[in-house]
Amino acid sequence: MTDEKTAAPAGAAPSRDFDLLRRLSATPELGPLILLIVMLIVFTSINPAFLSLNNISNALTFTVELGLIALGMTLLMTSGEFDLSVGSVFGFTAVVMWTLINSTELGMPLSFAIAMGVAILIGAVNGFFVTRLKIPSFLVTLGMLLVVRGSALWLTSGFPQRTWETGQQWLAEVLVGDFCIGGTGDFCSGGLRVYMSLIWFIVIAAMLHYVLTRTRFGNWIQATGGNPAAARNRGVPIRRVKMLLFMLTSALAGLAGIISSIRVSAANPNSGTTYELEVIAMVVIGGTALMGGRGTILGTVLGVLILRLMRNGIVLIGVPGLAYNIFIGAIILGMMALHSALERRHNEGT
Amino acid sequence: MTTPIVEMRGIEKFYGRIHALRGVNLQVNRGEIVGLLGDNGAGKSTLIKVLSGAVPYTSGQILINGKEVALTSTNDAIDAGVETIYQDSALVPQLSIARNLFLGRELTRGPLGRLDQGEMNRVATDLLRRVGITKNIPPTTPISSLSGGERQAVAIARAMYFDSEIIILDEPTNNLGVAETQGVLNFVRDARDKGHACIFIAHNIHHVFQVVDRMVVMRRGEVAADDLSPKTSSIQDVENIITGEHLAA
Repeated sequence: MTDEKTAAPAGAAPSRDFDLLRRLSATPELGPLILLIVMLIVFTSINPAFLSLNNISNALTFTVELGLIALGMTLLMTSGEFDLSVGSVFGFTAVVMWTLINSTELGMPLSFAIAMGVAILIGAVNGFFVTRLKIPSFLVTLGMLLVVRGSALWLTSGFPQRTWETGQQWLAEVLVGDFCIGGTGDFCSGGLRVYMSLIWFIVIAAMLHYVLTRTRFGNWIQATGGNPAAARNRGVPIRRVKMLLFMLTSALAGLAGIISSIRVSAANPNSGTTYELEVIAMVVIGGTALMGGRGTILGTVLGVLILRLMRNGIVLIGVPGLAYNIFIGAIILGMMALHSALERRHNEGT
Repeated sequence: MTTPIVEMRGIEKFYGRIHALRGVNLQVNRGEIVGLLGDNGAGKSTLIKVLSGAVPYTSGQILINGKEVALTSTNDAIDAGVETIYQDSALVPQLSIARNLFLGRELTRGPLGRLDQGEMNRVATDLLRRVGITKNIPPTTPISSLSGGERQAVAIARAMYFDSEIIILDEPTNNLGVAETQGVLNFVRDARDKGHACIFIAHNIHHVFQVVDRMVVMRRGEVAADDLSPKTSSIQDVENIITGEHLAA
């Protein structure tokens, strides 16, 4: 969120200590940060392997792929919209790229560019329906979810695409290549294996955080979600803002899908199913308002870590994996209550 | 004869088959406060939206300082010197005072378009003082923390900063207390005294009578009267024109 959201209430002249405490309590990232720390302590105390380098490496690998989508979704939700088609785009973009690689002479870089172009086009169509035809994003992107998933299944006849020809491609190395920190051997024994996707996630998160909190466009995103009529009256191009954010979200979903397909060597037309809900949960847990106007990239990063480490942790401590959704649901409800209470207190200046 | 600062000539507006404005003519002079009155659906909001660039008009001419302008967007209107203070203040509750003040006209620096937060805060602090907010409210305070009167003051401060020649106040006293209402009315008088032209819309006819120099009444998309003075007309006279009772008399 902005660097200034936590200022003193109107007319108040609180002491410095009280002011600091109040600022801290109004920070939307505080709740998820505390939850993440508690999770780390609980899981590690029950099973010390939770914080082993090997486990961290495994957990982070897939985490950042979903996280890439969550970053785009954060900006989109801040502007007051959301996108249910990201899971389908995740699967479809990879299918398009691999179909092109396998059935044409285009090569990986050009196939990648075309697939990303398709993802961006899907975002643009979503944006067009929402901003021009005034159809709620819930309905538009629900329809797009089915169209895109259906296209992926139709294109592949329901079968995964071959992906094993990529091994030595430079682009594959750039997207998902890995390196070992402190370990030895092919399996990076005793060290931390870091995939390039983590680097991409960090770079993109930093860029989007900067955009949202420090730039004119970030101000427009928050205004578009906070009071669209006011934003429009002040000359903010809210249609263009939303259109760009739909395209960005779709592009990041496509990029995540391609990265995932290279890493697991499979482009399955069904991959990404229900990711949209998990991504929205990550964003909301992080402190971004579901109805728009307030968003935080830092909170989303925490939300991504919470959900993925929760999935990893409950398996490690012996809780049945099928119980995962119980924890996620409870976390969402708890964090919603917390964010709501903090926002109320903040607005009341208490 | 001085040129009117705003001149709207024969403005027509259709919403589909609804004829919302029927050849409306309106003039506002420098240093004049014009009260725009009318019942719901009379066309005053549409007329204001046309002048503020929020809705396109079907035909007619708009002249500002004697020059015809094409107001196809709110940006066009702001660039032409028209600032509109809406009923809901047109503010974003989640954003700070400073960010609201500069919304759409943010100050930036550097090649990456970084917001010049320091300068925006400095200007906002100065403007808050100028619009009479003497309490120590930091410019980083979110709008959601402010009272109704303070929010209107922020909207007014915006008009002052951009030094808009024409200030439209659309129901600016709605939901305000007595003291806050007086603050808004004082601002309107100050703006007039500094040479701004103001168009004041309010359902509360008493507020209009307190502050305007001239009243324009709209009914059914047309101007029913445009030279009513609060000094020579009574509230009852104006109400009769608003409702059309004077035609029946």
